[in-house]
Amino acid sequence: MIWAGVVLVVLMAVLGAPLFAVVLGAAMLGFLAVGVDLSVVAINIYDMTDKPLLVALPFFTLAGYLMAAAKSSERLMALTRALFGWMPAGLAIVGFVACALFTALTGASGVTIVALGALLLPMLKSSGYTERYSLGLVTTSGSLGLLIVPSVPLILYGIVAQQMGVGESFSIGELFIAGLGPALLMVLLLSLWTMLRVGDVPRTAFDRCALWAAVKAARWELPLPFVVLGGIYSGYFAISEAAAITVVYVLIVEVVLYREIKLAELPGIFRESMVMVGSIILILGVALAFTNFLVDAEVPQRLFTFMQEHVTSPLTFLILLNLLLLALGAILDVFAAIVIMVPLLLPVAVGYGIHPIHLGIVFLANLQIGYFTPPIGMNLFIASYRFDRPMLELYAACLPFMGVLLIALVVITYVPWLSLWFL
Amino acid sequence: MGGLGRVIERWLQIVETALLVALLAAMIGFAAFQIIARNAFGAGLGWADGLVQVALLWVTMVGASAAAGADRHIKIDIVPRFAGPRTRTLAARFTALATAILCAALGWTSIEFIRWDFIDGTMGFGAVPAWVCESIIPLAAGVMAARYLARAVWPADPSAGKRDGLAADQKDSAPS
Repeated sequence: MIWAGVVLVVLMAVLGAPLFAVVLGAAMLGFLAVGVDLSVVAINIYDMTDKPLLVALPFFTLAGYLMAAAKSSERLMALTRALFGWMPAGLAIVGFVACALFTALTGASGVTIVALGALLLPMLKSSGYTERYSLGLVTTSGSLGLLIVPSVPLILYGIVAQQMGVGESFSIGELFIAGLGPALLMVLLLSLWTMLRVGDVPRTAFDRCALWAAVKAARWELPLPFVVLGGIYSGYFAISEAAAITVVYVLIVEVVLYREIKLAELPGIFRESMVMVGSIILILGVALAFTNFLVDAEVPQRLFTFMQEHVTSPLTFLILLNLLLLALGAILDVFAAIVIMVPLLLPVAVGYGIHPIHLGIVFLANLQIGYFTPPIGMNLFIASYRFDRPMLELYAACLPFMGVLLIALVVITYVPWLSLWFL
Repeated sequence: MGGLGRVIERWLQIVETALLVALLAAMIGFAAFQIIARNAFGAGLGWADGLVQVALLWVTMVGASAAAGADRHIKIDIVPRFAGPRTRTLAARFTALATAILCAALGWTSIEFIRWDFIDGTMGFGAVPAWVCESIIPLAAGVMAARYLARAVWPADPSAGKRDGLAADQKDSAPS
């Protein structure tokens, strides 16, 4: 009976059922098997009202949607172009930096490709970059920035990991700092590779007036990083409070000061962003129930014992982890991957002496690459749809970028210092 | 879907949007007020944090219900993506039916837990009893079950599955 249920749940997952339903089915089956009353699932969902940190998710997500609906992407492009456009391969660097920052704010849900990619692609091509390179840049950079504060996946990892309570405890603020080095490394390697590869692309001269104009245009959005970071690191606000301040600030800026979002558009934006938040947090809720079942059934311990019999060195474990996560990143959405895989992997990783913060950074760095891993990384579909190009062309365009980012991933994985230097 | 179904669906969407806007506005308003009150007067309202967190649960459930209406829940659709239209429709019917059953089970089993909180007189936040806060779980689960059941009976046009759902809506919300 239970096994028939397991087969059904697997079939649901493969045939494209909503992930929350798959996890819900798995949790219910588990509790049925051990004879626990099924109302425990609803109790676990209600328990989410006990996690103040979660409130940060709708706030940051709404702020990101608001910025995507306004012309923030254009201002960000103009500003980064004035700052970096004069360097060799300047426009490509502009692309990396702008995409990373925009993704940090909006999440890697495809908004970056749609909003920034559409601006960048024609600009890159008219500046002498090849079609293939330009396509590769906009497709792969759509997930660059997952590791930059206040990225929602980072916060979600923090929430799930803290809930497990294994390994050394850490704060979300520390997780944010940890992401900066690896994110910088990725942008740096990509920029260096571009300089070596394209070399002779005409640059624009540094123009002080253009920089001033771009700064002036973005004057209301420029304080935003300081609102977010200053609030968190000065100790004045908790993360959820910083998120509330951020969303109030963005609302005032885009609706009142720039007047780019009409009041009548707000309900639609609220709804769109909460559809996304609802589907993520519901998965989190049922995943919490499933995790409780797993912990009760001692699955993480068994997994660890099994792993220890076959894998002795932490290094081998990390290599296996990378392979697993790259594959997962290609099929699973980043949020789903976090709520489903972290509860299983964190106890095992801690058993191998890996710091939870380092695991989180490695986890997200892998998922970031998974986003454009052929054949089914999500960025590939979004870019193919948005720029109307065949998938095969995008596979080819993304491969060299993937190579560079894999090198960054190796460094991030095997040099924990890069993520943990401040501890 | 029948004519009546479409009318119900339209009204549901209006109610959901109104609820989401009201809840989110309340969350933002009270969270911001608490910060000001704490920093300026040294103390916030005792019940406001609880309200914000229960509002989060409501936003989650209503948002998830809206996601069910728009077929925008996160899923791994490897097989449907590469399958023919007939297989795709069949897969859609099966997954929608299974999802409907699970949502109904979630709603049904949650009533037991809410009933106990009702009998015990457990409080949610401030003067609001817990069962009121919890009632959104069976409500939203019921709406989701109905929506997935409707989708199992009347599956969407299989050619629509080719387009990436996420990209499609971001195109709408992106600056043009």
